[in-house]
Formats: sequence, C-alpha cells, structure tokens
Amino acid sequence: MSDHHNETFISKYIFSLDHKMIAKQFLITGMFMGVVGMLMSILFRLQLSNPGESFAILEWFLGDKWAPGGVLDPNMYLALVTMHGTILIFWVLTAGLTGTFANFLIPLQIGARDMASGFINMLSYWFFFAATVVLLISLFVETGPASAGWTIYPPLSALPQAIPGSGLGQDLWLISMTLFIVSSLLGGLNYIVTILNLRTKGMSMSRLPLTMWALLIVAILGVLSFPVLLSASLLLIFDRSFGTSFYLSDIVIGGEALHHTGGSPILFEHLFWFLGHPEVYIILLPALGIVSEIISVNSRKPIFGYKAMVISLIAIAFLSFIVWGHHMFITGMDPFLGSVFTFTTLLIAIPSAVKVFNYLATLWRASIRFTPAMLFAIGFVSTFITGGLTGLILGDSALDINVHDTYFVVGHFHIVMGLSAIYGMFAGVYHWFPKMYGRMMNKKLGYFHFWVTFISAYGVFFPMHFLGLAGLPRRYYTNSAFPMFDGLSDINEIITFFAILGGVVQLLFIFNFFYSIFKGTKATENPWRSNTLEWTTPIERIHGNWPGKIPSVHRWAYDYSKPGSDKDFIPQTEPLKEGETEH
Amino acid sequence: MNIKLRNNTFKQLLWIGMAGISMFFAGLTSAVIVRSAERGWDTFVLPEYFWCSTVVIIFSSILLVLSKRKVKRGVSPTPYIFSTLILGLFFAYFQFKGWGQLILEGRYFVGPGSNPASSFLYVLTFAHLIHVLGGIISLIVVTIKSSQKKYTKEDHLGIELISIYWHFLDVLWVYLFIFLLFSLK
Amino acid sequence: MTNLLIILIAFLVIATLVQILRVGELLSEVRNLDVNKVTEKDNKTQSFLMGSVGILFLVSCVWQYFSWEHLMLPAASSEHGVTIDKLMAFTMILIIVVFFILHIILFYFLYKYRKGDHNDVAYYYPHNNKLELIWTIAPTIVLTVVILYGLSVWDQITNADTSKSQVIEVYGKQFDWMARYPGEDETLGSYNYKLVQGLNALGVDMQDEASLDDKLTRELHLVVDEPVLLKLRSQDIIHSAFLPHFRVQMNCVPGMSTQFAFTPTKTTSEMKEQEGDSFEYVLLCNKICGAAHYNMQMKVVVETQEEYDNWLSQKNTLSEKLITKK
Ligand code: HEM
Ligand SMILES: [Cu+2]
Ligand SMILES: [Cu+2]
Repeated sequence: MSDHHNETFISKYIFSLDHKMIAKQFLITGMFMGVVGMLMSILFRLQLSNPGESFAILEWFLGDKWAPGGVLDPNMYLALVTMHGTILIFWVLTAGLTGTFANFLIPLQIGARDMASGFINMLSYWFFFAATVVLLISLFVETGPASAGWTIYPPLSALPQAIPGSGLGQDLWLISMTLFIVSSLLGGLNYIVTILNLRTKGMSMSRLPLTMWALLIVAILGVLSFPVLLSASLLLIFDRSFGTSFYLSDIVIGGEALHHTGGSPILFEHLFWFLGHPEVYIILLPALGIVSEIISVNSRKPIFGYKAMVISLIAIAFLSFIVWGHHMFITGMDPFLGSVFTFTTLLIAIPSAVKVFNYLATLWRASIRFTPAMLFAIGFVSTFITGGLTGLILGDSALDINVHDTYFVVGHFHIVMGLSAIYGMFAGVYHWFPKMYGRMMNKKLGYFHFWVTFISAYGVFFPMHFLGLAGLPRRYYTNSAFPMFDGLSDINEIITFFAILGGVVQLLFIFNFFYSIFKGTKATENPWRSNTLEWTTPIERIHGNWPGKIPSVHRWAYDYSKPGSDKDFIPQTEPLKEGETEH
Repeated sequence: MNIKLRNNTFKQLLWIGMAGISMFFAGLTSAVIVRSAERGWDTFVLPEYFWCSTVVIIFSSILLVLSKRKVKRGVSPTPYIFSTLILGLFFAYFQFKGWGQLILEGRYFVGPGSNPASSFLYVLTFAHLIHVLGGIISLIVVTIKSSQKKYTKEDHLGIELISIYWHFLDVLWVYLFIFLLFSLK
Repeated sequence: MTNLLIILIAFLVIATLVQILRVGELLSEVRNLDVNKVTEKDNKTQSFLMGSVGILFLVSCVWQYFSWEHLMLPAASSEHGVTIDKLMAFTMILIIVVFFILHIILFYFLYKYRKGDHNDVAYYYPHNNKLELIWTIAPTIVLTVVILYGLSVWDQITNADTSKSQVIEVYGKQFDWMARYPGEDETLGSYNYKLVQGLNALGVDMQDEASLDDKLTRELHLVVDEPVLLKLRSQDIIHSAFLPHFRVQMNCVPGMSTQFAFTPTKTTSEMKEQEGDSFEYVLLCNKICGAAHYNMQMKVVVETQEEYDNWLSQKNTLSEKLITKK
C-alpha cells in the first residue's frame, strides 16, 4: 500500500485505489453532470417563459429534430425534464455529493490509512462511470432519451407507443440505473465497514464528527433502499422487454388492446417510493453533516447539542423508511393508510426542527468568520427552514389533494433538497479544497459566487410556490393552453431570468475550481484552524494519509473557544489537560 | 491490518451486503403480497423438484458447518467443501428441473399461459439462483484453495465467509419456499 | 461564424479573469499578505450583507405575496373545499410566522455575532438539555394540533356519504377526457377494455342492460349543491383528474377504478360574475402522460338542475349512438 514510488499515470489517476483520488474522480464527474443537468433546465425554462418562441440556442443544442426552427418539441421537453431530474438527483447529489465526501473524508476524519477495501472503492467509481456513459449515450438515441419523468411510472415508461422516449431511451436509462445502484451499494458497504472498524485509537463513536455520523447513516439508508429500487426496475424490465404483466393491465393504446392483464401500476409506485423517499434523505443527510461541521468551525463554537444532532439524524433516517406513501395520497389508496402516512410524515418535522434550533443556538454568541464555505452553510440553514416548512403542507394528505404534482411541489423539493444539498456540496468543496489540492480557492470569487447563487436560487424557486397555488401542474410543456394560467407569464419570466443568471454564475465557480487547482495560493496545513483529524495530515497528499503513526484521539471534534485554553481551538489529537472534562 | 481486524472487516462487508440482498428480496416478496391480494391471482402447487432442492441445500449447509469444525481442529476440510459444492450444483439442477416441470404444466413466465403468480415464481427463484451462482463460484475457489492447504487453524477467512454466505442462501431459499407455498395456495 | 466568435470571446473573458486573479494574488504576495485569508474587513462586509440581503429577501417574499395574490385560485367551489381552504389558511399562517421568526433570528445572529474586535471569543456552550427538551416538545405539540386537524379534514373528505350522490364516470386517455352519465336507470353499465373500439371509446359492454341508456359527453356538467361521485378510469396510462377550483384530484389508473366524492357549491355563472366573464371551470390532467399532457383538459360546468336536465336530455344515449349507427 505504501509503495507510492512506482506508480504509473494509470494507477495514480485512472485506476487509483487511493480514496482521495477516487473522491476527486467522483467530484469531477459529478460537476460535469451538474453542468449538463443545469444546462437542460435552462433550455426547458426558455420554453416555459417564452412558449413557442424560437431560440437559436435550442436549435444549436438539440438540432433540427428536437427543436425544429428553434422551438422545443414537447417530447423533448419531457425528455429534458426527466434527464435533468435524474442527473441532479442521482448523479450530482447522490454520487457526486456522497461519493466525493464519503471517500475523501471518512479515512481522514476517523484516522485510517484508506477505505476498508480500496478495490471495492475503485469498482464503485467505475460502475458509476459506466452508468454515466450509458446515460449520456441515451441522450443521442433516435427516439430520444427517457421521458417519463425521473420517477418512471409505468405504464408510461413501459410503452413506447405512449411516448417515444420509452423505447430505447428508457432501456438505456434502466441499464444505467442498474449500474448506478451497483456502484452505490459497493460504495455504501465500504463506508459502513470503514467507519465501524477502522477508527483510530480513541475515536469512539461518541467522538465522531457529525459528518461521519451523517455519512454512516446515509450509507445504511442506501444499502437498505437501493436494492428495492433494483427489484422494482427488474420487474419493469421484464414488463418492457419480455411481456410480463407485473405493472400493466387493461390497456388500450394506439387503437390496440394489449394482452397484459392483472398488473398494477400502483405496485411500482410503492416499490419506487420505498427507495424514493429515503433517497431524498440520502441526498440531504451528507449536506447536514458537512454543514454542521462547517458552522461549528467558523462560529468558533462547539456545535450545539451534539447528542441531539446525532439522535435527530438517526430519527430522520428511521422515519424516512415509513413515509413513502405521502407521494401517493391521491392514487386511490386506502384512506386509513393515507392517515398513517400523514402521521409519520409530519413526525419528521420534529427532528428537523431540532436541527434548525440547534444551528441557531450554535450561531448565538458565536464569533463568526465568513468564509465562502460558511456562507454556503448559512444558505443551507435558510433553505432547510424554507423548504422544510412547506413540507408541512405537502405531508398533510388533505392539503396535498390540491397541491400534489403542482409547481408548489417543484418549489418545495428544489429548496429543501436541491438547494440545500447543492449548498452543502459547495460548502464542502470550498472548505476541504485546501486538503484536496493543497491550494486555496479564491475567496473573492467565492463570495461573489455565493451571493449571486443565493439570490437567484430563491428567485427561481420561491415564486414557484405561487405558481402551484394558482393550480399550475408540473411537467407541462407550456401553460398557455389554459386561459386560467395566462396571468402567470410574468412569474415565469422572472423565474427564467434568475435561472439563467444562476446558471451562468456557476461557471465562475467551475473556473475558480480549476484555476485554483493549478494556480491558487498555497494552503497551509490547517487553514481554518479546525479540530478534526484531516487537518493533521501533511499538505503533500500521500498514500496512507499520515507519514508516521496514525495520531490517536483524545477528545471530541468541537472544542472551539473552550475556556482555559490559550487557542480558540483544540485539535482532537491533543490530550485532555489535567482536571479538564470532556464537554 | 492484523488478521482479526481483517477478518472482522470482511465479515462485516458480507453481512451488510447480505442486508442489501435481503432488502432486494423483501421488495419482491412484498410485491407478491400486494399483488396476490388482488383479482386474477393463480394458485397451484409447487413442483416436487423444489422440495428436493430444499432438502439438498439444507444438507449442503450442514456439510459446511462440519467443514468449519474440521478446519478449526486442523483437519483438512476439502472433502466437505467439495461435497457442498456438488450439492450446490444439484440444487441448481433441481431448480432447472422444477422450472421444466412448471413449463410442462403450462405455467410460463410470459405469454398466454402465464399469470402474475407464475411470473413472480420465476422471478423469485431465478433471482435466488443468480445469488447461488455467486456462491458456487466462491465454493470452487475455496475448494481449490483448501486443496492447496491455504487454510490454517487460525486463518481460514475464506471458509468462514463462504459459510456465512451459503447459510444465508439456505435461509433465504427456505424463506422463499415457504413464502411461495403459502402465497400460491 | 457567430459560434466561433462566441468561443473566442469566452476564451478572452477567461484569460482576463485569470490575469486579474493572478495580479491580485501576486500583489498580495509582494505585500506578504494572504489574499485568501478572511480578514476583519471581510467579516464586516459579509455580515452586513447577510443582514441586509436577509431583510431584502424577507421583504421580497412579502412583495411576491401582495403582487401575485390575485393570481391564486379563488376560494373553493365545493363543500369539502371550504374545509381544505380553512386548513390551508391555518397551516399557511403557521408556517409563514415560523418562517419569518426563524429567518429574522438567523439573519440577526449573523449580523450581530461576526468575528471582530468586540467579539473575538465565542461563548463555549456545547449543550443545554433543558433547552433542547423544550424545543423538541414545542414542535411536537404544534404538530399534534396540525396532524389532528389535518386528519379530521381528510377523514371527512374520504369518508363522505355517497349513497345519494350522482355517479358520473370520468375517463382519461391520451390526450382527452370523456364523461359517462348513467341515464334513467341511475346505474353505469359494465365495461371491458377489450371492447374499446371506434365510437365505444370507453369499452362499455352493450350486452349489459344498464349500459343502454348511458350517455357519453365531452363536457362535465354538474348540478350545484348536489353531491356527485366521480368514478375514474383510464384507457392507457396513468392520468390524474385535477379540478383545482373544487379542491379535487384523483389519479386515473389503467386496470383500476378510483373515485372522489364532492359537492359543487357555486355555479359557473356565479363564478363568472365573481371572476370575470372569461372564467370557466376545468378538469386538467395532472400526471405526466405524454407529448400533449399540457393540453389534456375538459370543460366543467356547474349549473342549476333545469339547465342540467336540459343539457343532458339533448345527448344521445349509448344505444342510440352505437346500435342505430350500425
Ligand atoms: C438551475 C437550477 C434549476 C432549475 C432552473 C430547475 C428547474 C426545474 C424545473 C422548471 C423543473 C420542471 C418542473 C416540471 O415541469 O415538472 C425541474 C424538475 C426537476 N428538478 Fe430542477 N431545477 C434546477 C436545479 C435542480 C436541482 C439542484 C435539483 C436537485 C435535486 C433538481 C431536481 C429536479 C427534479 C428531481 C425534477 C423533477 C423531474 C421530473 O419531473 O421528473 N433541479 N427543475
Ligand atoms: Cu417523500
Ligand atoms: Cu393525461
């Protein structure tokens, strides 16, 4: 493991077994997919704000077939929405976020030389890579990529007669998703085992940084929920390709009565959301962990209520398995079942509220240092509050009747999951960049990036609630087909304006990222004066992480501004002084 | 990494992997439960061959228990592992025979002669067999390594891992078998 | 050509940026400063920005509310819709209040507790069990109220008495809707998807006596203040019948029959008076179903009993339609 002298380019950069390199591979693939997904959203936003108008950029990207004369084709609109959702949920915020930070931080923060199995780790990345390639190929098939929404409800996703994207495009989507699931299972296995077994001396579970707790719980969620999605897709594949009737029944399409009888599309929805809801937390929890860490470091103050933070993480994770029915209130499910799901869903608000209060308490009488990472962490707290509150409306079955599948939902989930997790990811990148590349990211660009992103993101998603309350359904190619929505065009224009602004400013981030890799100012070993173990490693990032012995741990990660110490931080490696209590 | 830590790590990897596999089957079997409660669900008796495979796989598990005992006492476990492997192959054979019998009875996976009940039966047994296939491949590897005397009294991780996994497949099959017996009744 | 130009300009912009950054960083190296270190001045600017942008954000939320409020759906036109609206108002007020309180606290703390000369050392305050208990229990109590209130409304809606309801079938297919009225005998005839053909778009079984007087229509007419029970079916894929003005929504699933019971309370003409002449009730599709999903609609009319009888009597029964045509 330690003979890093005779490494070739291939073994160092391509088939690397080193967790730090694998993390970077995940990050850069995720960033690339992020650009693709965001570009898609800008393309379809143009159609929504200016329905039927011709845009050269649409024709340029999509060609004559999907944007004849520069006007987006309705099938392509749905395809773009579907791919945008798939890419952002799975590629950017599941693999890109967890893959990056779990791989990078776990060994460094628990004090291990590498992951339990570097090989499995490498496999995990390459399965992800293969999934990415297949997904990207599906963008170029003749009948278009999958178009049935990221939730791929059959029968729509099963019948090419219903929408062209359900042909080859959907096949590739399913293949890609299967590879993706394998990748995340392999990754998850490794994260769990590593955290449970390879902690350095003194790193008891109650001293784990909150990032580690979050990543551990996320990995458990993933291992328990992704296989169910696999079984759902497997049955869908059989229905599509072999003619079984698991999900299909009594269908007449294109003037032809299909032979399928006895299947139930609702069955798919149950299986799908059994993954789908935990997936939302798979996206959110790593961000919660990262943000807790960054807020504490930059407030120079221990995270308030460490234990409550851990317990609420566990409670959220547990509850997330028994709430999936809130996506199905109006599928004709048994009303009593609906009540049960309302009850469990609204319970999630309790641990979430505890988290928010604890963040606020951490900021109280702090000594806040506004690094770009801290700004994004604060942005997270704000979006988590805003989005979490609208969840109370969607989780209430009686209220969901009228807002289900409207833009209210789009606004809600983008804020609580999309923005929060993206902010968590940005915060993490700004914060750990010095450890990843040994250089600093440019601070001024970081500030600029944050402010424009923060303003335009709310500018995009806050008004969507009003669209939803006006009754506008989601996944509509245009809302000009109903006179009742004519008044909404102003709101749509505002949203698109901010979407473009927000999209463009991300390029600045990408620029900052690559510029700083090569040209950024040199970082010191512990630039943020942080307690956790990763900051005790040397700047030249080596295989095995620590040159000598792995340091042992004597305290929790949050001794900032502890009275009786002359510095405002006490690294975990520093033994307790005589008479000092642990917290 | 010392041996104990390594062993623990790999065992845990396996356990957690098995938790994932269990969720996969939990998904499928709960789909059966939901589906069988609705109209148009066929009922029929399972082919006798599936009873044979049940007996065979239980026996094979017992053999593996013995082989672990042997290796712990320092005796060569190769014959036991090898016979487990053979029984594993028999299990696969009986599964195929069982499917053959179903087809003779006119119960197909798809097409006019099929019903969600028979489709589900094929999916569940087939998915299980895929996992058995993984077990058989590992058994081959372990048999070879064992015949090369790679396992010692103290260090026989391969045997431990395959034991855990194989018992898991065993329990999983018994669960599926009983589950199918009841849901097809 | 323009493409080339755009690429060229993009390169120039990037090159300029790199140079500006380099110059900044080199200058600071000369002056032995670290440009990327967060200075006291940064803390001042950023915390000031946090406070002011925060206020701006909250103000903009209020602004959005007042400038777009008139676009929201009008008050419910159904009996249960009124209870939903009340529940909605209650929940909305609750979350808006919490939203403002939490954000004001957040932005205030950020403004107040920046690192600086007056505030160099944070207060070491790792936990306070009593406080944490309080803010676990407080939301629990509030949520209990929300849950109980919500469930009582849900219960009323889903357990509505349908014995006296007029049954109407609503049938969705790519990309339009049809309605079927039961006719004199007040029963809908049975159906089988294999019978869907030509004029018999719903696959109604004409061997069934009850089918003969059923009527197919392309508009949904309802009688004001009379309870209806919509029976929903789909021909091909999942659709969702969404009647936003009545606070009604239910999926239409192939192979299944779902239903929703409600009572309309305002006629179309009353609504026209209230909302302007162009007002119409609609039923729209709210589950992604293909290229023309965005335009899958049916006109809905709520009227008096006479108007309704008059309208319905002009429609042909299925037997007239299917059997005489043959
Ligand atoms: C530039 C920023 C973004 C913009 C402008 C944007 C905009 C949109 C819009 C307008 C829709 C379509 C609504 C509809 O017709 O149903 C949509 C769908 C969606 N977006 Fe975004 N979005 C952005 C970022 C994100 C992020 C960060 C996520 C990550 C969670 C995300 C996840 C989704 C998902 C899951 C869907 C649903 C796709 C579906 O209906 O199948 N988006 N987005
Ligand atoms: Cu959910
Ligand atoms: Cu539709």
